[in-house]
Amino acid sequence: MMEIVDVTKLVPQRAPILMVDRLTDATDDVAVTGFVVKADNYFLDDDGLLAEVGLIEHIAQSASAFAGYKALLAGASEPPVGYIGEIKKFHCYRRPAPGEELNTTITMGAEVAGVTIIKGETRVKGETVADTQMKIFIK
Amino acid sequence: MLLENSYYKIIGRSGEGLDAVFRVALLPDCEVYKGHFPGNPVSPGVCNIETIKECAMLLTGKRLVIDTIRQCRLTAVASPSVCPEVEVTLSCSPVGKGFAVTAKIADNERTYMEYKGEMTVITA
Repeated sequence: MMEIVDVTKLVPQRAPILMVDRLTDATDDVAVTGFVVKADNYFLDDDGLLAEVGLIEHIAQSASAFAGYKALLAGASEPPVGYIGEIKKFHCYRRPAPGEELNTTITMGAEVAGVTIIKGETRVKGETVADTQMKIFIK
Repeated sequence: MLLENSYYKIIGRSGEGLDAVFRVALLPDCEVYKGHFPGNPVSPGVCNIETIKECAMLLTGKRLVIDTIRQCRLTAVASPSVCPEVEVTLSCSPVGKGFAVTAKIADNERTYMEYKGEMTVITA
């Protein structure tokens, strides 16, 4: 795997909604990302835990980072902008707390007419906290 | 509430029981647009999902967490300039430890989101 130091080369999102720190592994159709929930995260709920939608955004940006990595390998200079088209079968098992590190495995299906179906599973120390399917449009 | 009065503001409400229509303004000065995306403000789909959840909390009078999203279709790109005001149409029905929630976000021009899922009541 090509080493990417700066995740902002892989995704177009920026603070306060940047929800991925690094891409730690990538093959043709599977990638792994890491993200530490910080105390000032945009999606911390009233009770201090990461809101469910924060998990969804993290999974979407993990897929976006994977697509950005592939684009970079193919010679692109800017990360592609991806939009969520559909979320299906999302489950939130537990909302992570600040300080916890999310590790997300993205499995990317084939692209058909600009739409890619991905599966994402987010773990904290091996425990699954959320999983989902998504359709993503990448431009 | 995570996003009320920062990302959106409720400007009207109608309906009875567990069915309601919330009229909502999308606030252009929300800090989320600094990063989504720089120079190209687009309303994050997840913020619209959170808006649905917060309307469901107001409607049911309970604190809720999203347990499952069966299906959420994002059918058009939303932003405060494309749709400064939208209607969140919401129907909740009691199921298990919470509610089955069906929702739609739309204006007169188009539908932005169609949502079906289950939310659980937090008792703590």
